[in-house]
Amino acid sequence: MKLARLTAAAGLLAGLLFAPGLRADTLDRAGLVQELCGDAGAMGRAGAALVATAASGSAQDRAFAAPLARAVIDRKLGCDDAGAVLDEGGLDAVSRTPRAAAGTPRSPLLSLKNRPVFELADAAFALRGAPDIAQRAAALKTLERRPAQIPEGLLDTAAAAESDAGLKEQIDTLAQTAALNASDPAARIRAIGRVAETPSRRALTRIAALASDPVYAANPEFRRAVDAATARIERGIALGDTLATLYNGLSFASILFMAAIGLAIIFGLMGVINLAQGELIMIGAYVTWLVQQGLRVAAPALLDWYLVLAIPVAFLATAAIGIALEALLLRHLYKRPLMSLLATWAVSLFLVNLVRVIFGTQNMQFETPFYVSGGVPVIGDFIFTWNRMFAIAFAVVTLALTWGVVRRTPLGLNIRAVTQNRDMAACIGIPTRRVDMMAFGFGSGLAGLAGLALSPIYSVNPQMGQNFIIDSFMVVVLGGVGTIAGTVVAALGIGQINVLIEPLWGAVAAKVIVLLMIIGFLQWRPEGLFAVKGRRK
Amino acid sequence: MSLTALLVDGLTVRFGSFRAIDDLSLAIDYGEVRAVIGPNGAGKTTLLDVISGITRPKQGRILFNGALDLTQTSEAAIARAGLRRKFQKPSVFEGLTVRQHIAIGADVGFRPRLDTPALDDRIGEVLETVGLTGQSTRLAGELSHGQKQWLEIGMVIASDPSVLMLDEPVAGLTDEETGRTAKLVRALVRPDRAIIVVEHDMDFVERIADRVTVLHEGRTLFEGSMDRVRADAAVVDVYLGR
Amino acid sequence: MIRLGRIGPIVHLTALILMVALALPALSGTPLEISRYLANAIGQLAAFAVLAISLDLIWGYLGILSLGHGLFFALGGYVMAMYLLKHSFVVTGTVPDFLQFMGWKDFPFYWAGFDFFPYALAVATAVTLLISGIFGYVSFRSRVGGVYFAIITQALVYVAMLLMFRNDTGFGGNNGMTGFSVLFGWQMGTSSMITALAVASLVVLALVLLLCRQLVRSRFGALMLATRDDETRLRTLGYETLRLKLLVWCLSALIAMVAGMLYVPQVGIINPRVLSPELSLEIAVWVAIGGRGHLVGAVIGALLVNAVKFWLSSAAPEIWPFILSGLIVLVVLVFPNGLMDLAKFRLTRPMGPKRMAEEMEEARP
Repeated sequence: MKLARLTAAAGLLAGLLFAPGLRADTLDRAGLVQELCGDAGAMGRAGAALVATAASGSAQDRAFAAPLARAVIDRKLGCDDAGAVLDEGGLDAVSRTPRAAAGTPRSPLLSLKNRPVFELADAAFALRGAPDIAQRAAALKTLERRPAQIPEGLLDTAAAAESDAGLKEQIDTLAQTAALNASDPAARIRAIGRVAETPSRRALTRIAALASDPVYAANPEFRRAVDAATARIERGIALGDTLATLYNGLSFASILFMAAIGLAIIFGLMGVINLAQGELIMIGAYVTWLVQQGLRVAAPALLDWYLVLAIPVAFLATAAIGIALEALLLRHLYKRPLMSLLATWAVSLFLVNLVRVIFGTQNMQFETPFYVSGGVPVIGDFIFTWNRMFAIAFAVVTLALTWGVVRRTPLGLNIRAVTQNRDMAACIGIPTRRVDMMAFGFGSGLAGLAGLALSPIYSVNPQMGQNFIIDSFMVVVLGGVGTIAGTVVAALGIGQINVLIEPLWGAVAAKVIVLLMIIGFLQWRPEGLFAVKGRRK
Repeated sequence: MSLTALLVDGLTVRFGSFRAIDDLSLAIDYGEVRAVIGPNGAGKTTLLDVISGITRPKQGRILFNGALDLTQTSEAAIARAGLRRKFQKPSVFEGLTVRQHIAIGADVGFRPRLDTPALDDRIGEVLETVGLTGQSTRLAGELSHGQKQWLEIGMVIASDPSVLMLDEPVAGLTDEETGRTAKLVRALVRPDRAIIVVEHDMDFVERIADRVTVLHEGRTLFEGSMDRVRADAAVVDVYLGR
Repeated sequence: MIRLGRIGPIVHLTALILMVALALPALSGTPLEISRYLANAIGQLAAFAVLAISLDLIWGYLGILSLGHGLFFALGGYVMAMYLLKHSFVVTGTVPDFLQFMGWKDFPFYWAGFDFFPYALAVATAVTLLISGIFGYVSFRSRVGGVYFAIITQALVYVAMLLMFRNDTGFGGNNGMTGFSVLFGWQMGTSSMITALAVASLVVLALVLLLCRQLVRSRFGALMLATRDDETRLRTLGYETLRLKLLVWCLSALIAMVAGMLYVPQVGIINPRVLSPELSLEIAVWVAIGGRGHLVGAVIGALLVNAVKFWLSSAAPEIWPFILSGLIVLVVLVFPNGLMDLAKFRLTRPMGPKRMAEEMEEARP
């Protein structure tokens, strides 16, 4: 008993001497408990010791100290003649061996000043040690209320040990905030440098807030650091925004290209603009959805791969519709392109309403497989998202495929021959009607693939086709008749112009300007970008 | 009188990398019937396209009466200046009557210039010339191929053109129809009119042409009378194939 | 094919329309009086018929298909709605919904003077001529035609729709404009007003029909057909077809505008949905079903299709699109000249496969 008191006194002394900068490899356990049962000043010192332990104590010390902080807050620490007991007389607070309370235990009451310190300590322990993610998240919330009080190092170690990516990011953010608000200017400048390393709008807001800090006016070094970081972050954001715009433009252009290439081939070949192309895109997306639902029932293990497995299905389904459309309708409207326009519109009307009746008008729900979810943050607010990358990669593959078919296969040779001179092609024995049918099927299939590629990015409903079709027409008009290169360049141009103008003046202005530019362009080159001139036929 | 109606000077027309007409120069005089012959792709129709303003050349110019550069003039203005052309494929207005065709050809402009009796006289005259007097109220779409050819000739001569271009006027016609067309062309010869005929039918060319220009790969291969054309070794080589 | 110089069905149809126009007010008060709903429907149909004529003029007679004629229709409609709202405000003090919705205290400055109808009419005419003139000039000058022209006009009307869907333009935005209460100082919505509007629409229809008949039967009309059949040929005969096309195009736009001005007071609302590409395509379908290049066909097509639509939209709205698409396919495949084919075949010989093939061959875009 005497010994215990003696060690407690020694511990108290040690606590007094070392508490502010405690790097406690060895925590004076008895002394701590002693202080917890002391007056408000002693409890304050004990609280600081707890906080320090939570930040940099050994695992054993933290395991020892964590229940103490909690118990004080909950008023479950019983101070008695023999020290203190936990859990209303279950365990000795120091040795953690069972013993009964000696006499009537007294629960120390936290002062208003000390309560936040203990809460901080408790949260710090929970953040580092709680097994449940919800508890850790709650602890982080508590810490966020007092960033300036968080001990240095706590959040970094907690972040390093954190297994959940989302929570880890939150901890990192808080660590930065804490460091930015630290009392030591040098630490703050270091923190500013670290924040500026990953520029984003959030980082800019945080750094910009420092400009109204009194230190900003007082400390020139600090001011320089803040200004330099602001400039650096702004550069990063500008770069990121530019890249993001180009990236979005590229993905939009990819979809436009896939929608338009079929149109362009068919227009070059037959002089027909297929107003149902947008609906073929829509059908492609719905077929993708059906494949997903089929896999859900038949092979749930493959569900994640539905986007890949749907490729042949979407292509063949829309190609079949295209072939049927050509064989039943357009074949009979040869040389009457304006009537073909109306006929394909009738088909578009029919398909939209058919889908509306069967599936309803709501947006379809798609799974997001791992290969199209998330992304890699690059710089600023630009995230290299996989769903857009999927569309871009898909368009590149489609381009290669189309180029290969048109340039390297007998069908492609026939398509080119008929496009250049239908009568002559017929004379040398090319079955022009068959070529029309196959080309129409091919172009329609490409539209179906466009529908598949855009399903992870855009919403899928019966009206979706109309969002792309007018832009696709403009691609064909701009690109010229039946040229792959023209379609690529026009799709890139229209896609990029759309996303460039959109943030400046809005989506409507983007469409207006694109249309005006195309009309203006036609003044200069009425045949489109890549059309070949020839004699009047 | 042998004034130059058309002076083609250093004309080059390119379609992509293909030179349809390659640095061509030639002169066509008033009072003559000039036949332009040559194998397919020699640039005959393209030459007429440039003269009538449909195709713009890459280089060169075409002077009408030594003053008006046709390569800088619109199709309609060229026609109003007195140059008229019949197309290779009979180009008539399916929805109009024969009479309306001649009226459109005779009286240029949106407001009529000729008064009704004068117009009627002119229409009667032209219909008689091309032998369609009995057909005046028929729709052009109902005519035979030969009748369409004559209707188009009637439409282009109705305004008394000073340069008349006929692109394959006897293609697809019977021998009897070809004979009538030859007579018609000769009847149109006047000292103040130049007639350019593009044709593949050599007998027809022989009957109507005063001079013949042979085009080959966009250049003049030979120029002279039909007899000398037949005798020229180079022409025989590339074209007549004998 | 059009036979000119024949006193044809146009005059008969005009007479019929005028008779209906006379009968509507004459029957009121008698047991034969027609219902308000029917009178209103007749008036709307007449407005649609005027719209169909405007498209037939350029498509049937000039060979230029516009898939954006809803733009000019909407232009007339919007200006009429502006007049009605401003006029109603001046007379009754009703503040339009859209101003309240936007929280605006006053009309935007460009609404000034719209309570004076001649000014509104002048603005509508000027704007229509400006838009159609500039668009027509740049398109025809660069020889944009056929399918290209069709889809560029479609893009034009689509862009206009997106523009009008914006709420900050001061033209009612998404909800459009409605709540018209006074027209030329008279209360709207009464039986006599409905009849008066229907009669006015019928009279305008008759006038437009006669005007267009005079035009297409004239020398100018012959030149229009010549432009349709072979524009290059006509140009190389010395005619500046650009001027001709521009003139007819602007006239057609004006007629569509008039149709819009007749339509709006009868339906009591205008919103950006009249600018949807679907409506503009539907106009082409009316004309195609009635028969391109026949003024009577355009009128009958518009009346027939819209009458069925009116009836179905109350009976079974969801099957209307299917019927419409079926009708289009039937017309383009079997009756390339629309109902005119039907009329002709019954009078001559039944249509066998051979006859059909001939017709197909002859039919031109």
